[in-house]
Amino acid sequence: MADQDLQLLQGTLDVLVLKTLSWGPRHGYEIARWIRDATDREIQVEDRALYVSLHRMEARGWLESEWGITENNRRAKYYRATPEGRRQLQAQTGTWTRYAAAVFKILHTA
Amino acid sequence: MAPIPGIRRIFRLPTSGATLGGEVDDEIAFHLERRAEELAAGGMSPAAARAQAHREFGDAAEAKRELAEIGRRRLRRERRTGAWDALRQDAAFALRTLRRSPGFSAVAVLTLALAVGANTAIFSAVSGVLLRPLPFADPDRLVMLWEENPEKDWHAVSAAPANLLDWREQVPAFQDVAGYAEFADRVTLTGAGEPQALSAAQVTGNFFSVLGVRAEHGRTLRDEETWAGPEPVAVISRRAWIRSFGADPEVVGRVVQVDGRPVRVVGVVPPGIDLPVEGVDVWLPMAWDPAARQQTWFRRAHWVRPVARLRPGVPLDAADAQLQTVVRRLQAQYPETNRLMGAGMTPLHEFLVGDTRTPLLVLLGAVGLLLLLACANVGNLLLVRATGRQRELAVRSALGAGRRRLVRQVATESLVLSAVAGGAGLLLGWGGTRVLGALRPPELLAEGQIALDWRVLVYTLAVTAASGLLFGLVPAAWTSRAPLGQGLRAGGRATGLGRNARRVTGALVVAEVAVALLLVVGAGLLLRSFRELREVEPGFESRGVLAVTLVLPAAEYDTDEKVAAFYGELVRRAGALPGVVDAGAVRKLPLTDPSWSSDFSVAGRGPDEYGVDVLHREVTPGYFRTLRVPLLRGRGFTPADRAGAPMAVVVNEALARRYFPGEDPVGQRIAFDRVPDESSVWRTIVGVVGSERQDGLADEPRPEIFAPVAQDPTRGMVLVLRAHGDPMTLAPAVRRTVAGLDPDLVPYEVQTLDGVRADSIARQRFLMALLAAFAGVALVLALVGVYGVLAQAVRQRAQEMGIRLALGARPRDVLWLVVRHGLALVAAGIGVGLGAALVATRAVESLLYGVRPTDPPTFAAVAGLLALAGLAAGVVPALRASRTEPATVLRAE
Repeated sequence: MADQDLQLLQGTLDVLVLKTLSWGPRHGYEIARWIRDATDREIQVEDRALYVSLHRMEARGWLESEWGITENNRRAKYYRATPEGRRQLQAQTGTWTRYAAAVFKILHTA
Repeated sequence: MAPIPGIRRIFRLPTSGATLGGEVDDEIAFHLERRAEELAAGGMSPAAARAQAHREFGDAAEAKRELAEIGRRRLRRERRTGAWDALRQDAAFALRTLRRSPGFSAVAVLTLALAVGANTAIFSAVSGVLLRPLPFADPDRLVMLWEENPEKDWHAVSAAPANLLDWREQVPAFQDVAGYAEFADRVTLTGAGEPQALSAAQVTGNFFSVLGVRAEHGRTLRDEETWAGPEPVAVISRRAWIRSFGADPEVVGRVVQVDGRPVRVVGVVPPGIDLPVEGVDVWLPMAWDPAARQQTWFRRAHWVRPVARLRPGVPLDAADAQLQTVVRRLQAQYPETNRLMGAGMTPLHEFLVGDTRTPLLVLLGAVGLLLLLACANVGNLLLVRATGRQRELAVRSALGAGRRRLVRQVATESLVLSAVAGGAGLLLGWGGTRVLGALRPPELLAEGQIALDWRVLVYTLAVTAASGLLFGLVPAAWTSRAPLGQGLRAGGRATGLGRNARRVTGALVVAEVAVALLLVVGAGLLLRSFRELREVEPGFESRGVLAVTLVLPAAEYDTDEKVAAFYGELVRRAGALPGVVDAGAVRKLPLTDPSWSSDFSVAGRGPDEYGVDVLHREVTPGYFRTLRVPLLRGRGFTPADRAGAPMAVVVNEALARRYFPGEDPVGQRIAFDRVPDESSVWRTIVGVVGSERQDGLADEPRPEIFAPVAQDPTRGMVLVLRAHGDPMTLAPAVRRTVAGLDPDLVPYEVQTLDGVRADSIARQRFLMALLAAFAGVALVLALVGVYGVLAQAVRQRAQEMGIRLALGARPRDVLWLVVRHGLALVAAGIGVGLGAALVATRAVESLLYGVRPTDPPTFAAVAGLLALAGLAAGVVPALRASRTEPATVLRAE
């Protein structure tokens, strides 16, 4: 996937990740799997982009991370949304919904 | 960060770049493994599963680089905020510590704030006068030209107009030369509301263009307006535009009367053109008669200050060399006027700053010393405190604080202290500039020259930081070497200063006393010379005299008869006012700028026996009596010395002594020309009066000739009235009398002669008062220093004192012990200070009058004063020591 598309997707990916984390802390692989399953594989994302999104949001203070132990007793880095991250999710969900509705309306006007 | 529930925290956040890369690797590896496992569980071969996982992930190496970069940036940001947080923590801690000992903090902050404030205020004056560039275009290319004449003892005097014009035309290095009359005139403005007395300057037409000043409204003057033209014009200052014309937007083109003559206002110029003096309201072109260039007086009278603009890139000495060539040419060409006339140039800024530089630099030096003293004092306080905190530092060190951290903490305290003091000092300094502005002697500091501009702020910041560093250095250095372990071993007993620390405090106190002595000696010298000046016999009695300055408009008073009649009648009417004892008038008051001067010749003497450059004043008959100027020989003027009567003059004693030694001047005939010819007017000396000091109290009286106003009328005079009581109470009646004679006439100035006398030494008073204030503060600071060291020593030696007393020493012995310690410190300080003062007081030599810079009585008195003060500072700690209760001290162990 070209870098340009990645850029384009970044905002979308951020919202999806934040949404995933709104149910609780997860590690990267869990998030990737959840997005794949939840979108019925409609959204194809390179996993690399997902990690860039995670790290960037962490640097911005939307997420925080901690190394922990999985149920299989392996080391993994867990992420969770900070209050700021949750605020971002709310704001972007609103924006996205309006945007999608608007696009939908145009496309379905006879 | 709170622990995430259900997940055991096993590692801290990455704190370095190295762990960062490792973590990114781990995270990606974990992902790839899990994905491959999952795919394999779905039936793929392990190898295919791994390949698929990698494909889905994308470029892993690129991802690692990208993630590591994000992490690094984040780390850098966190480090920055971390350092900031630590600083804030240190500062907050320092503030808490300082607040815990409010007495110490208050003394330290106050001491420093006073010093910083004094520095800020004085530097604002230095900056305004010495550093701020002149408000002219390219001021570096402006030079002041001047003339000199060894025979007349003239140095840097104004030029004769004809010489100025010749220089302008003949010196190629000059792009242009402008000129302005050396004194401002007092003029009456009518035709713009009430008649008003304004200050007017006469300038050449190119005055503004040479300076590079543009008009705010209308235009400035034109080159051709140097010469008389069809219509008189004027340029006004912004202040006059606002005050006298109500900021009339239509002012350009208005015709008003200046001294009764119609003048068209052509422009308004911005403030700051303080030439020839501060506060000029109107600039009038010279409007010379072109025929004047050929006349001798145009080369004889020296009254125009020439300002030249050098061509770009021409160095000063090259221009001067060219000027000298022209000067020699003129000497040969016009021997009668220019025979011994030299000329030279000085950069304009340097010329205008002139003799204000020394006093300002002396003040700056004084406040600099004051700051050093304050730093020494606070440094000492901090050191004493730091050693008192040995235990605290030892505990913190034991709890894991590194030495660097402790030093940083101590240094932060100093910085916080200096920051607080700097803020307070800035406020004090701002107040100080207001005080300076209110007290300023006008000829030392112009209005608006004292201001807190960016230079002052930078200076204050630098001074504050430097002082913080200076006084902070001492305790920080001590902390960095302090024997921390011993703090605890000593079992909580307050340990004293170590030998090194004692030496440092001792040296600091000696330095403080020395600096204080230096400042007090300086102040003492200025105080003595001020008293000398005040006691100087000026040659007249200033008490109880009112002086009213008047200038009659030339248009209305166009004949000598009218002028003479006006002043005759004014003196008669004013003399009849109730409360007036004597009345007279004089062209210029003594102790102010002298009026005019000329050479003179005596009838019957050889051509080389002429008098050089004697002063002239015109007076009414009552002048000498009113000012109580004694008549020594012959007679004073009488109403009979009127126009048409034989010309009479009175000379002063200085002239009689110099030019008629062993002779009676009364009855001799003189003419006001060096080489008399048939046009010369011969006058008979009818009397000799005592000498008045014409230039100032510090200047010896000069030879002077008085002529009666009735025979030599002059439009500008000062009415002098001797009153029964307070002369100022006469002012309203005098104003009414003036208005009764001419309703359009406004007295230019109404002041008492005492006031004139005080104003003539205002600069000396100002300097003395400031230096005395600084010296006072210095003295107090030094005493606080001495006291502090002795008090600390007594506290430290309490045990020793207790033992001495227990073993039978008398309290008096212990008392003496402490006092001796104090006196030793003070004596050392006095010794160092006297040595320094012997050298340093040369800096104020030019400011002294009647006192040598090494005046022994001043030095002795100041040394005595400091010794006494040192004794006083030692008394309290000594008494405390002598009252030590042996039992208490010994039990405390």
